Amino acid sequence: MIRYSRLLLYFTIVVLLLWILPWMYNFLTARANKTPFTLYSSVIDDYAVLQPSDKGVVRKDLGGNVYSESEFDSILPMFYYRQLIADGRLPERMKGVELNPKVIQTENFIFRHSPDESNRPVIGLYPLLESSSGRVDLVMPEDVFHIDNDCIEFIDIKSNCVDEKKSQLFTKALQKKGFIFPARIIAGNPTTRKDYDEGYLLTDKENNLFHMKQVVGRSFVRKIDIPEGIVINHIFLTEFKNRKILAFLTDKQNRLYVLLTKSYRLISLPVTQFDPTRQSISVIGNLFDWTINISDDNGDEYYAIDARDYGLLKRMERPNNTVSLSEKIGGYIFPVRLTFTSLKDKWVKARFASGGFN
Amino acid sequence: MLKPILYKEWIKTRWYFLLAILVSIGFTGYSLLRVNRVIGLKGMEHLWQVMLERDVIFIDLQMYIPLIIGILLAIVQFVPEIQQSRLKLTLHLPYPHYRIIAVMLLYGILVLLVCFVFNFIFMSVYFIGILAGELVKHILMTALTWYIAGFTGYLLTAWICLEPTWKRRILNIVIAVCVLRVFFLSAVPEAYNSFLPVLIGYTSLTVLLSMLSVYRFKTGQQD
Repeated sequence: MIRYSRLLLYFTIVVLLLWILPWMYNFLTARANKTPFTLYSSVIDDYAVLQPSDKGVVRKDLGGNVYSESEFDSILPMFYYRQLIADGRLPERMKGVELNPKVIQTENFIFRHSPDESNRPVIGLYPLLESSSGRVDLVMPEDVFHIDNDCIEFIDIKSNCVDEKKSQLFTKALQKKGFIFPARIIAGNPTTRKDYDEGYLLTDKENNLFHMKQVVGRSFVRKIDIPEGIVINHIFLTEFKNRKILAFLTDKQNRLYVLLTKSYRLISLPVTQFDPTRQSISVIGNLFDWTINISDDNGDEYYAIDARDYGLLKRMERPNNTVSLSEKIGGYIFPVRLTFTSLKDKWVKARFASGGFN
Repeated sequence: MLKPILYKEWIKTRWYFLLAILVSIGFTGYSLLRVNRVIGLKGMEHLWQVMLERDVIFIDLQMYIPLIIGILLAIVQFVPEIQQSRLKLTLHLPYPHYRIIAVMLLYGILVLLVCFVFNFIFMSVYFIGILAGELVKHILMTALTWYIAGFTGYLLTAWICLEPTWKRRILNIVIAVCVLRVFFLSAVPEAYNSFLPVLIGYTSLTVLLSMLSVYRFKTGQQD
């Protein structure tokens, strides 16, 4: 028994050293690795970059042209429109489109998602807001739903009991449209801090895609036709101001799609791949273009997309090849490391890493 | 022989046991009163909304209570053994040495189990009445990690207390602090779900560490 006790003690010491020493080394040597702010400009048809340097921030494009602060505002009129309005420099028209603050504001959007938002514990209860209450402000409902193996159940919050009538109403509405329980994905934005509500996008047991919301107290369910062979893996309901886009989606092959609101058309975006469990994404969109930035440990990929036909305007890569000397040395000193937490998820578990130290 | 050992442990720890029950129930009760207050002031909808939107579980106050109870139980149970050289007498009893220590540890684990189960039932009964099953599971699974930390804290403190030399005892304290830190790395509810079996397995094995201390005591290691 004493042999096992000793083994346990040595095992504990080794595990703790594999965890604490690399952590301390990283804590003492880590430095900020900031990615320069990069946005596509439809004015110069190139990427505009805000590059921090020793002499301050340098504003330039990929062609090497350097811009002053006000010139930089002008080449990104949709992003800096408030500054341009304040300076009286907002163009009246751009690419044949009349510009005014309201249009710009409505069409501008920012979407961000990081892997830790996908890799986290999920409670499995969802509030279904009233999408068409007739009131300007959204209100949280008095019930929440969960989807079981054979039905959707609404639980009344006050009584903590199942609302049988509403549950049957929505179960029947889903079944009528061909929904096969249980749900694989339930995606929505259950918050009142948004302009309007589009309910939830769901996929069923057979990977069919559905849109479900509550309209004037009644169920709204629509099956969305998706091309054969596409298996939706992640859904991000957007609810942007312009109401043109219903959601971003990815499939099993990590292809990125956009789902249009009115036509429910699924359009594949010209992005090599996006794995929401491993990569971060930001989409900064306006009337004319979207800048999609997909980043992971290997670096950043940028895709400029035409906002009208979703075609690729320009692509660029910024590989993460800035491994510092301390990181290289760290890799040699600690060939095997143990961590319990990660920036890519919210779970605590043992994860061993080897090789490069970052 | 088993009964007298258990009786001896009971005599030693009965007041602490009562105190531990009262304190843990007190903290649990206070947490539940806070939940009640939220319901009273802002309504049940607000409670559910905050839990779903902000991932709040309302019992964070109890996070370190099981750990403190576990550590203090080990101190109450084993420090007198060492200070008054009772361990020497105990180990002279006509009963296998390691089995005596195992029985003492088993007693401590049972005391903690009673205390923690009592708390768990208290919380479950209250929350099942007002929250959906998913939310009750969310709260209890989060708290489970803290309660396992209570057992680990007890077993590691017993190991430290039974250790005969101060030099080694300090090393043991450093190791124990690092091990216990693992239980409190994240405040995200249910973050430990997939890691719980590993933590439970490791906690069970830490019984062995006390045997190492007894072995060192028996072989005459001392300051």
